[in-house]
Amino acid sequence: MEQITTTVAPLRAAKAATTGSSAESLGSVTKRLSNELMTLMMSSSPGISAFPKSDSNLFEWAGTIEGPSGTIYSGLTFKISINFPANYPYAAPAIKFDSPCYHPNVDINGGAICLDILQDKWSAVYSVQTILLSLQSLLGEPNNASPLNPDAAKLWDTPDEFKTQVMKYYRPLADA
Amino acid sequence: MYPRDLSEYSQLGTRSSRDVKPALDVVAQCKMLTVLLDDFVEDMRQQQHLITRDIEHFMEQYEATSDPQYIAKMVLRLVEWYKAWLPPADLGATVYSTYTLHFQTHVFSVLPPSFTRGFKSLLNLTFNLVHMASAPEWMLTLVPSTQPPPSRVDLPLWAAFDKLGLLDRYESLVSSVCYEYIEAHILQTCTGKWDEPMLANIRLWMADNIVPWMIMPYARGARSADEARTMLQGVGSRLDFHVCKTLSELRTREIFDIIIDYPDSSSALQDLRECLQRVDQRTQLVQTLRRANNKRLLHPGADTKDILTQYVSIIRCLRIVDPPGVLLYKVADPIRRYLRDRPDTIRCIVASLVGDGESGDSLVDDNEPIQPLQQQQEEDYSDPNWEPEPIDAGPEFRTNKPSDIISTLVSIYDSKELFVKELQVLLAQRLLAITDGSYEKERRNIEILKIRFGEAALQVCEVMLRDMTDSKRIDTHIQAQKNSPLHATIISKHFWPPLQSSKFSMPGQLKELRENYAKEFHLFKPDKKLVWLPHLGTLKIDIELDDRTVSAEVPPLEAAFIELFSQKDIWTVQELIEQVGKVDRPAVLKALGTWIDLGVLKEDRHDQYRLLNTAEDGDSTSKAVARPAMVVDEEPPVTAVQQQQAEQMRVFWKFIEGMLRNLGTLSLDRIQSMLKFAPGYDRNIEQLGAFMEAARREGLVTVKDGMWKLQR
Repeated sequence: MEQITTTVAPLRAAKAATTGSSAESLGSVTKRLSNELMTLMMSSSPGISAFPKSDSNLFEWAGTIEGPSGTIYSGLTFKISINFPANYPYAAPAIKFDSPCYHPNVDINGGAICLDILQDKWSAVYSVQTILLSLQSLLGEPNNASPLNPDAAKLWDTPDEFKTQVMKYYRPLADA
Repeated sequence: MYPRDLSEYSQLGTRSSRDVKPALDVVAQCKMLTVLLDDFVEDMRQQQHLITRDIEHFMEQYEATSDPQYIAKMVLRLVEWYKAWLPPADLGATVYSTYTLHFQTHVFSVLPPSFTRGFKSLLNLTFNLVHMASAPEWMLTLVPSTQPPPSRVDLPLWAAFDKLGLLDRYESLVSSVCYEYIEAHILQTCTGKWDEPMLANIRLWMADNIVPWMIMPYARGARSADEARTMLQGVGSRLDFHVCKTLSELRTREIFDIIIDYPDSSSALQDLRECLQRVDQRTQLVQTLRRANNKRLLHPGADTKDILTQYVSIIRCLRIVDPPGVLLYKVADPIRRYLRDRPDTIRCIVASLVGDGESGDSLVDDNEPIQPLQQQQEEDYSDPNWEPEPIDAGPEFRTNKPSDIISTLVSIYDSKELFVKELQVLLAQRLLAITDGSYEKERRNIEILKIRFGEAALQVCEVMLRDMTDSKRIDTHIQAQKNSPLHATIISKHFWPPLQSSKFSMPGQLKELRENYAKEFHLFKPDKKLVWLPHLGTLKIDIELDDRTVSAEVPPLEAAFIELFSQKDIWTVQELIEQVGKVDRPAVLKALGTWIDLGVLKEDRHDQYRLLNTAEDGDSTSKAVARPAMVVDEEPPVTAVQQQQAEQMRVFWKFIEGMLRNLGTLSLDRIQSMLKFAPGYDRNIEQLGAFMEAARREGLVTVKDGMWKLQR
């Protein structure tokens, strides 16, 4: 699968600071997040999904990513949490894996993710949906050049061993 | 003094009291009265079998024939016994009462149980005697006619009853006979008779028939009319109560049909109201009516319109019976709840609002002034005419001021927005159906509705109406620029309810016409774009065939097909669909069917149609004449509110799915509160619950301990 990041052009005006009162901007952020939620719900992208954790706070979401078929992660489901900053979309949301994920670009302990668009390459045109799609494709195509999990990066070329490690750490979703 | 058989007395002859008196005086002086009395009582006891024999004789006859005459005979016979054995009056009151007591005790002890029945039927006969000028034959044989005859024919009987103490002993029997008699009369005269006030009639009847009768058992001893009146007062008001009770019970049983008959039955309702003021039958009325409604009204077989009509009648009727509206509130509640669940309730109400009554009679009384919708008002305690809630009002009860019917109907739903929405749909259908360009009726309707719902709510309708008139104007302009047989109706997408869309393309000259029109429109309104709704509208076309010309007014799809047949004579269904684009098979077949009916096309083989350039002889052409091109579009072009809601629900389902996928299991409350993220979500938790339940049945979700989760 082609990484989505390459298809999205960065926006020039993205770095412009928010103007107007904070309350007003907060309102606009909420509005943006609502719209993104609507888009996400109505689009039927297979294997990715996210939803606010509670009805009182639109800034914390829980997400679900299914490993893309044809990859080592096929058939596995991972939970992630997404925290939007108050100046979203001018700053990237903080995203981490809640379920342990053995992956070159994911911290196996904290779940932190090393993905360019979540750091310096962030742009305001990205949305929850594009982030989720990027993460999904990251599972199949890790960036072994800047690993957060060097062991995993080393093992990547030997899929059988890698898969063993993945399954060692993988915790199926509690189906309670 | 020795008690003997009755037959012996005639031989005995009468002794004058003068003869006896000295003897009795002696007894009294010797203070031997008690001894005498004991002796006499003992004698009586020995002779009692004579009476017993008589009673048994009469009772046997009665039991054999069930004729109350025998009872009457027996009673009178017993009186003879009584009189015969009666000790001389000179012996004083003690002897008299002791004798009476013993006599009655004996009689009562030997009367068989069947006597009660007999006595009852005898009493029933007495009602007939009241108005008789002379005693009937059977009585004449019993009672020796006296001179002068008694003031009333039934007097001897009653006197006899009294003598024997039957009235005291059977007091409840007497009154129950009276009650039953009244009941029977009411049931006989009033059942099904709702068009005149019966209560007054019954009271008159009571005064004419029952009161004279009552004088006998209850006020015989009265010396004057006034005295009689006082004596009858108690029992009279009891009977009046009974009349009210019987009548109200009868009317309660009939209430459902009375309501159906309203307004012809308003007299019956007046009666009921008067009765209910005396009798506490309100709960029964509510229960009966609720039961009847459940059984006869609130079931799937009943038409929504009928339910509404009946509901409106119930409102009107119960307002008569109980102006404060407590009864109405209790009865209406289940109906309102039921109506709320019916999908087409709003449609029916709205249809009646705009006077779309197909059956002719509208729910609304035309004489009722049009008023704005009334909202529930807070109670105004500073109102000097304020009255407390009626005593049997439930906790939910709110005094609803007599409001107009439409307000009541609209208040079935919590918001009037639903009505406005449905109104738009209805209006859209009606406007699109108008072909002659006269919108006056619709304008009038909207003006009326504005009064009810307020200007703001009907703004959209106003725009819709203006679209229609604007279309006419634009069309005139475009026609002036370039004459075209096409007359477009141009509607503003945002203000119209979603119209069913269908995208097929018009072939040949029809397409050209459209494009030209659109071009002209663009010139006239450069900032607007015309988007065709190809399936709406009608075309008047003349088809010139080799031997004939067929004229028809048809929907666009039919026209499109016949246009294609002008290119070649034979088409298959598949080819036709390819030519026009997105249409489904049933629509195609229906369109082709229209032409077959008109004798223009013929189905050669399965799915293959041929143009009949020359009319086929016989039936097909004659059929075309016989059957004018009546094209009925069964499907309303406007998406119904219901469908819109189903569409919305699909959106909400996506949200529910999303939250359950990411958050695991959720309670219904959580789902409800989370759904506020979904734009336009306006369901209440019950509706959500029903929806989730439906999803569960489809196997999409599971629920355990009130927690929902996705089925994986």
